[in-house]
Amino acid sequence: MIRNPLLHKEFRQRMRTNRAPVVIVGYLASMSALTFFLLYENVQGQLLQFQPARSEQVFFVLSLMQMAVVAFLTPAFAAGSISGERERRTLAVLLTTPISPLGILVGKVLSSSALLILLLVVTLPLYSLVFLFGGAVPQEVVAVIAFQLFTIVIIAAISVLWSSIALRSGWSTVLAYATVGWMVFVTGFVGYGLNFIAQHSPVAYFAGRWAERVLSLNPLWIEAVLEKAVRADPHDWVWFAVFYSAVCLVLLGPAVWRLRPQALYWLPWLVRAEEKHYQ
Amino acid sequence: MIDTHNLSKRYGRVVAVRDLNLSVRRGTVFGMVGENGAGKTTTLSMLATLTTPSSGKAYINGYEVTRQAQEVRRCIGYMPDSFGVYDDLSAEEYLLFYADCYGLPRDVAVRRCRELLAWVNLGDKRTAYVNDLSRGMQQRLEIARCLMHDPPVLILDEPSSGLDPRSRIEMRGVLRQLRSLGKTILISSHILYELSEIADEIGILRGGELAAVASVGVMLQHASGFRTIGIAGRGPLTVWERVLRDDPQVVDVRFLGEGVEVVYRGSLDDQARLLRALLEAGIAVYQFSERPTDIEQLFLRLTERTVEER
Repeated sequence: MIRNPLLHKEFRQRMRTNRAPVVIVGYLASMSALTFFLLYENVQGQLLQFQPARSEQVFFVLSLMQMAVVAFLTPAFAAGSISGERERRTLAVLLTTPISPLGILVGKVLSSSALLILLLVVTLPLYSLVFLFGGAVPQEVVAVIAFQLFTIVIIAAISVLWSSIALRSGWSTVLAYATVGWMVFVTGFVGYGLNFIAQHSPVAYFAGRWAERVLSLNPLWIEAVLEKAVRADPHDWVWFAVFYSAVCLVLLGPAVWRLRPQALYWLPWLVRAEEKHYQ
Repeated sequence: MIDTHNLSKRYGRVVAVRDLNLSVRRGTVFGMVGENGAGKTTTLSMLATLTTPSSGKAYINGYEVTRQAQEVRRCIGYMPDSFGVYDDLSAEEYLLFYADCYGLPRDVAVRRCRELLAWVNLGDKRTAYVNDLSRGMQQRLEIARCLMHDPPVLILDEPSSGLDPRSRIEMRGVLRQLRSLGKTILISSHILYELSEIADEIGILRGGELAAVASVGVMLQHASGFRTIGIAGRGPLTVWERVLRDDPQVVDVRFLGEGVEVVYRGSLDDQARLLRALLEAGIAVYQFSERPTDIEQLFLRLTERTVEER
């Protein structure tokens, strides 16, 4: 994986543009401003008095904001990765090299996740500020950061796979944002809706259980669970991981087909499938 | 080295390539000529493992292009007709990226990269960004990219397309140099003249079928001594036909709108006699001029089925 040539090339290209430092500086500045504002609002006039509950609140808001921002930023970096190669007419040459379709997809996922991961890393000192005032325990912080990293990679993977399937960057961007919209908004509304039904209607017995299932597909909910801000099964993240990994596996087949149909010719029902010109 | 057996490709109802049988010997240069849409690019992309044949087989260096695609990729260098380059990479980084794709050790890759850049006259552009190079330089860089892993077979799809006259001449020089490397080269163009200097054999593709294959010498020999004359005028068709049929120097006639295109093998005096005959027959000739001869069209029209067809 580390020897993936695409990964090296993409790192080099991405860090040479003006976009990367602008995004990093802009993001860090906004998050710093938000953190200082929240800290000031929560501890104003009482800087010498420890208020762990309030500091935990800062940590909670900060991490949720961060998750929301990276969830919506990731498709911007990943959704045009394969379709962009296709549109720039560099994909055909890449496909005549021995690099495998999986190697291309993995290289694109990691390279488009890398900048987002860097964004997380540069905000770590802000979390340490929260520690000054107590509240968040290190295990919680580690769990939240690890989950954020995982979510970035999952969203990047889904976006890259859409980018291969959709052929055009416009469509792949729409599909990638639709997926993030589903993850954040649809699951949130449906989950809370089911919860509401469960609380107010005694006949809807299963609504409560389904509410948790649906909500556990929401990255913001999982963060809240990891921070113990809501009452739910602490292992909800497993369902999240399994579900979205399965989504990636389902999309992987068509994505590989669009890159290199021959790679799937071991599947008997694909041998005679009509192949168009995808490069 | 390159063999195809009844190779065909269909896109829905459209047949892009039909029963193509081709054989390119090791170390030779085979030129593929045809108009746009003749099936050149589809054929080359099947050989480059980008597109799967609908039927038939193709072998490169003994490897079948569908079942042994990975082995085929290792022994070909493919240059598509229209290609893009990566922004924000220098010429050297661009070549080293492809060297990494082929798993070349770094020291070998760096040495080869510098040799090839010098070979395509881009030695002084090693650190220049690829997107800042002119189109002609990018085309030459692509040739260097094709040679990075030292493949025995090169597949070049219209390497001179989209170039200005100066870059075309430079590219022709690079292609002549390529020939001296002793590699097996399959090269396409829609201009026969471009290939006549470097190709050993020429295949003419028409409507997805290989219409004829011959050496460049044979092709030019067939075409020499003939000229194409365009005659525009008004008169009854039967009169046109009678006059042209009666002239023994007329080899071929094609009626076009208000006039004809004649393949003629006579002298200038014979041409003058033909003009006089047309006028005397009552045809109002308002244009009588020699046209540039399209060698491959002329070759096809003259030979019809007489040249060896494979």
